[in-house]
Amino acid sequence: MTTRRSTWSKVLFFLALVGPGIVTGSVDNDAGGITTYSVAGATYGYNMIWTLIPAFFVLLIVQEMNARMGIVTGKGLADLIRENAGVKITFFIFVGLLIADVGNTMTEFAGVAGSMQIFGVSKYIAIPITAFAVWVLVVKGSYSIAEKIFLIFSAALLSYIVSALAGRPHWGQIGSAVVHPQFPVNLGSVSLVIGLIGTTIAPWMQFYMQSAVIEKKLRIEDYKYTLVDVVVGCVATVVVAFFIMVACGATLFANGHGTLITDAKDAALALKPLAGALAGQVFAFGLFVASIFSATILPVATAFYVCEAFGFEAGIERKWKEAPQFYILYTVILGLGAGIILIPNVPLISITLWSQQLNGILLPVVLICMMLLVNNKEIMGRYTNKRWMNIVGWTTITVLIILSVILLVLSL
Amino acid sequence: MYRTVFLVHGRSGAGRTAREAGMNGMKIGSTFYFSRLLGNSVHGPSGEVVGRFKDFVVDTSAVRPRLIALRMRRGKESQFIAFDGVTIEKVNEQYRIDCADMSPFDYRTENTFMLAKHVLDKQLIDLDGRKLVRVNDIRLATLSAGTYVVAVDVGFEGLLRRLGIAKPAKRVLKPFRISIPSNLLLWDEIETIDFGHRGIRLSKDSSRLATMHPSDLADILEDLDVKAQLDVFSSLDEDTKLDVLEELESDAQVAVVEQLSIEAAAAILEKLPSDEAADILDEMHDDKASEILEAMQPESSGAIQALLQYEEDTVGTVMTTDHFSFNESVTAEKVIETLRAVRPEADRIYYLYVVNDANRLVGTVSLRDLIIADPSDRIGSFTNESTVFVRDTDDTDELFDVVHKYNLLAVPVVDEHRNLVGVVTVNDVIDNLKRTRKGRF
Repeated sequence: MTTRRSTWSKVLFFLALVGPGIVTGSVDNDAGGITTYSVAGATYGYNMIWTLIPAFFVLLIVQEMNARMGIVTGKGLADLIRENAGVKITFFIFVGLLIADVGNTMTEFAGVAGSMQIFGVSKYIAIPITAFAVWVLVVKGSYSIAEKIFLIFSAALLSYIVSALAGRPHWGQIGSAVVHPQFPVNLGSVSLVIGLIGTTIAPWMQFYMQSAVIEKKLRIEDYKYTLVDVVVGCVATVVVAFFIMVACGATLFANGHGTLITDAKDAALALKPLAGALAGQVFAFGLFVASIFSATILPVATAFYVCEAFGFEAGIERKWKEAPQFYILYTVILGLGAGIILIPNVPLISITLWSQQLNGILLPVVLICMMLLVNNKEIMGRYTNKRWMNIVGWTTITVLIILSVILLVLSL
Repeated sequence: MYRTVFLVHGRSGAGRTAREAGMNGMKIGSTFYFSRLLGNSVHGPSGEVVGRFKDFVVDTSAVRPRLIALRMRRGKESQFIAFDGVTIEKVNEQYRIDCADMSPFDYRTENTFMLAKHVLDKQLIDLDGRKLVRVNDIRLATLSAGTYVVAVDVGFEGLLRRLGIAKPAKRVLKPFRISIPSNLLLWDEIETIDFGHRGIRLSKDSSRLATMHPSDLADILEDLDVKAQLDVFSSLDEDTKLDVLEELESDAQVAVVEQLSIEAAAAILEKLPSDEAADILDEMHDDKASEILEAMQPESSGAIQALLQYEEDTVGTVMTTDHFSFNESVTAEKVIETLRAVRPEADRIYYLYVVNDANRLVGTVSLRDLIIADPSDRIGSFTNESTVFVRDTDDTDELFDVVHKYNLLAVPVVDEHRNLVGVVTVNDVIDNLKRTRKGRF
């Protein structure tokens, strides 16, 4: 049968299938993520790179489960949780998600503020402008336009490779550090390990991934493409994380002692004298792109899931009149996130850490719900988990809970 | 359809006429919320606790959904008990469930559904509000003939009640004169959609969805997940199916048709205008589209195949081939008779096209011309021959210019021999503009 589709639109069609995983993977490296990777590289050199290996596999398993649930049920994760776990658990998860995501949105705007500072733009100018631009894109634009912009944005994250190579890293040292990492076990290092895993798999990402798959109306025949997409997305996430750690590790962690930095902006500033102004600016540009990217998706996604779970109309294709709760919630999350950063002398670092910790506490709860759902025959039919997936899944959840408890105890 | 009036009183019927129901302890006319019973103890004949209340089984074969059994949990086991021996009483603001008669109930799936499993927390369609809502709670009422499901609560108050904080929240907000909105929808005003994997199809005769406007139904279908989409779509009668399918966005059209069996898809696409059918098949996986085409009647599939040959963005991809043309020698009377027999949709006969023996376009006749003509006149004698037409291979932009310039409701499309091959209506033009503006795929 002949179709009217040109070769170009066939390529676009493939790109349309591939997308959820890659975009999710890129949103994953948001301001919080970049900060955590930079701090890890600057403080411990190459010795934290090994954590990316378990993080990669966990990410892969979790996102694959999301994609499979989305394809098989055609329902969002919020829907499934509400329909199967009842109101009380749903309420706990979504109130937690709401608070954590307001914190995460602040972190994104802190990233915007920090990166624009490198280019000499005051935060009092940069934040209102970007917040307004983001708001207009969501309220007036459409998701498909936004997603195409995002796919191009994702490519900008490759700028970190440039930053890393500018620092002339020692590949031999990196190899041996991955095999035999050396770092002191204390509060700082343990919380950093949790931060690294927690920033790679944030709770809201699971909701986002599943919605993106549904949005694409994928069917089980498309599963193999989706799997490729998920793998590519996870590789992209981990590769970017790797190069950020290398960039900071090769330059800021020199002569056996670390440089004390507290956020990603410090990393960009510290890179300047060591690896040249270009490396610092490229680093800052990457941070800016990543922050805007996530500041666009995060508030709208959060508002969407909360409405989905509690039965309000939601979606950016609706008009303000049709879905007032959704738009008000979205505007409030965005406004709080941007507004609090504008307060002079606001403790950015503790806000970042606090939101990351809330993510860490919420993650096991969301993952437990996911595991119960994905193994429920009534929901998934014959597409339930294989045994080894369950072993990996439950092990991950157990380890995360133990780590979170340790962190809570240590930070008290 | 008569309505349950006692709902208006809102509060459960304590304090109303206390005539004991013969079979259930609830007072006649009293109403209560399902969530207040969930998880309560179920007491046996001698008052001992025999299990925890989990769910009600509802019979749908009657006029109204009536409770016929309850499900309780005993340790790890689930047990069904016939509702006839069950009494529900309000004791100290709590509901007490007693089973005087523990006769087991033989659970069957046909014509029944369960409240917690299939309705509570699920989405359903609000027919009046024309949107999807989520059920926070269910309102039940005891009448002399039994206990019935009368309404669902989709409001914020129901949500707070489920969280167990409705009363304190109301107390806190009262001094501020803020009331929490409650939103009850009567059972007659909703349509359930999601019965999971039990393969229940909505019963065709009871589906109230057909009362909705096809555009509203299409909007709702677009919001549903694939399974519910198929359930709802299959429950519609044939005419509504066609109307709804035409109203759906193109990706939703494809999603719905792809889920149908090959035969069902072929049957429905045959009835669609050929251009719509071609658009849908063009967006589908090639192999499935070929199978559907093969299952169709040769004349429908031939027309669609011909349309699929056109390059993207040409008039051929927008036009419909289901037009009316008459030979110039036919009389006015005969034309009117034909139209009466075929009963075409209004947008198919904005203009009637007149062709000669070689099927070449001669001109147009409007309905006005036809009506005022002498019944025995040949239509060739009053045909308007200065007709604007476009070529099937023209770019769609030219088509838009022509429609805009001459203010036409429909434009005839001809091939290189000036044979009439199709018509583009102004609706097709608007659809196409809207689609290309949104970016296709």
